[in-house]
Amino acid sequence: MSFRVRGLSKTYKDPQGIPFQAVGPVDLNVPEGQFLCLLGPTGCGKTTILRLLSGLEEPTSGSCDTGSGKLSYVFQQGALFPWLTVESNVSFPLRANGTGKREAEAASRRILEQVGLSGFEKSFPHELSGGMQQRTALARGLVTEPDLLLLDEPFGSLDERTSIALQDMVYELCTRLFTTVVFVTHNIEEAVYLGDRVVVMGHRPGRIARDEVVSLPRPRDRMSSDFTDLMLSFRRTFEELVEPS
Amino acid sequence: MHLHLPGLALPVLLLVVWQYFGGTGMLPSLSSVAEVLIHPSRDLLSCGSLLWSTSVSVVRVVLGLLLSILLGTPLGFAMGTSRVFRRFTSVVTELARPLSPLALLPLSIVIFKDTNLAEVFGAEHLKYSRHILNELQLGMMFILAWGGVFPVILETMHGVRSVRNVYLEAARVLGAGKLYTLRHVLFPAALPDIFAGYRMAAGRCWMVIIAAEMLPGTNSGLGYLIRYSYQLSRFDVMLACIFVVSVIGLLLSRGLEAAGEKSLLLRAGER
Repeated sequence: MSFRVRGLSKTYKDPQGIPFQAVGPVDLNVPEGQFLCLLGPTGCGKTTILRLLSGLEEPTSGSCDTGSGKLSYVFQQGALFPWLTVESNVSFPLRANGTGKREAEAASRRILEQVGLSGFEKSFPHELSGGMQQRTALARGLVTEPDLLLLDEPFGSLDERTSIALQDMVYELCTRLFTTVVFVTHNIEEAVYLGDRVVVMGHRPGRIARDEVVSLPRPRDRMSSDFTDLMLSFRRTFEELVEPS
Repeated sequence: MHLHLPGLALPVLLLVVWQYFGGTGMLPSLSSVAEVLIHPSRDLLSCGSLLWSTSVSVVRVVLGLLLSILLGTPLGFAMGTSRVFRRFTSVVTELARPLSPLALLPLSIVIFKDTNLAEVFGAEHLKYSRHILNELQLGMMFILAWGGVFPVILETMHGVRSVRNVYLEAARVLGAGKLYTLRHVLFPAALPDIFAGYRMAAGRCWMVIIAAEMLPGTNSGLGYLIRYSYQLSRFDVMLACIFVVSVIGLLLSRGLEAAGEKSLLLRAGER
């Protein structure tokens, strides 16, 4: 699903009641099936953009037209329901939208197999490792076969090896489903490795500082000089953004 | 409850002291109290057996507790989810909460007379027999429900209000409607607190019923037996009853704790 964002901004009030602008104004055109990485330092309003896109928050001004497509969200810490088994967590969005029990279970089994969690259907989230919990969260995000998937630093709390394995998995699954993806991260390597396009956000208010299509061939080699050059160039953009403290 | 050696030392010591001083003055001998406890189905003071008195008190509390759960849980949910409703009810609940249910006993007798469930169900033929329905006065149910409903309301409200926002947001972006979120997110997330409320309510109901049975309005139950044995100076019966009150109170609390255990385990697993 393609979508466009026009003049999107969000202003919060701090505890003293003084308004401060967290985001924007931001303009974005995202074509169908694009894997977009939203890259930026912590606190630059990346998460706010996802929350605006998903409708969890109302924009102060501007609009984000995500149309009538199916939308899904994977939270930073997974936000799995601890009282539900892995399988029930994954089938939650289907059941909530009125899908029958058996059909929902079959669908969640299928997606759990694709994320490599067969055999853990009846486990509870707290019995799983961090990586497996994030796999479950991804499965829950993908089980509805969404047109637009929003991912908020899904691998931020995982160790590097686990995170690399999950990066390949998420890319493969999303491409197979032709899902448009907005992937928020503060990890430059992750963004360059995954993104069809990388958008760098600057600080206060969160604004687009750089918008670049990544044309490196896939599968991408993290060791290749093209890859490291691109990473370096993004790091320079990063350095320029961060105000001297 | 885990019994272990240091834990057993004090009770044994107390029993030894009792054995030594028992039978002199007011304190009945250990064996006379044990005699009452060992024969729970023997009639006591023409009031029925110890088993009978205990069942009367327990059934009263169970019904009163059920009433407070059925009333308090939905009210707690409403107060937890709707700020308007919370404000609407806050003054009344704040005033009613610290009011001892016993203060309402005379009033409840005025309102409900001595109507019992046998009359409510039209079982008049039971009137002169020893049947549990005769002993379940509406007034008793009322003050028990009063005693139990506030812990249920407050804990449920607290549980609902402290559900982590991220679960509610997750439910929302995953497309869950209000009712589905209530049933499948709010309720299970608040369940440990709700069970804590039930447990507190059970404890309060048990305290209330024993005291209430000593007051006008009834002539049955453990509380009544304690007071009646005092009037007849049968301290062996009295101490046996007190022991049973304490044990049942413990069992009530542990029983509900065990029932809520699973929900607590899941909360411990949250990250």
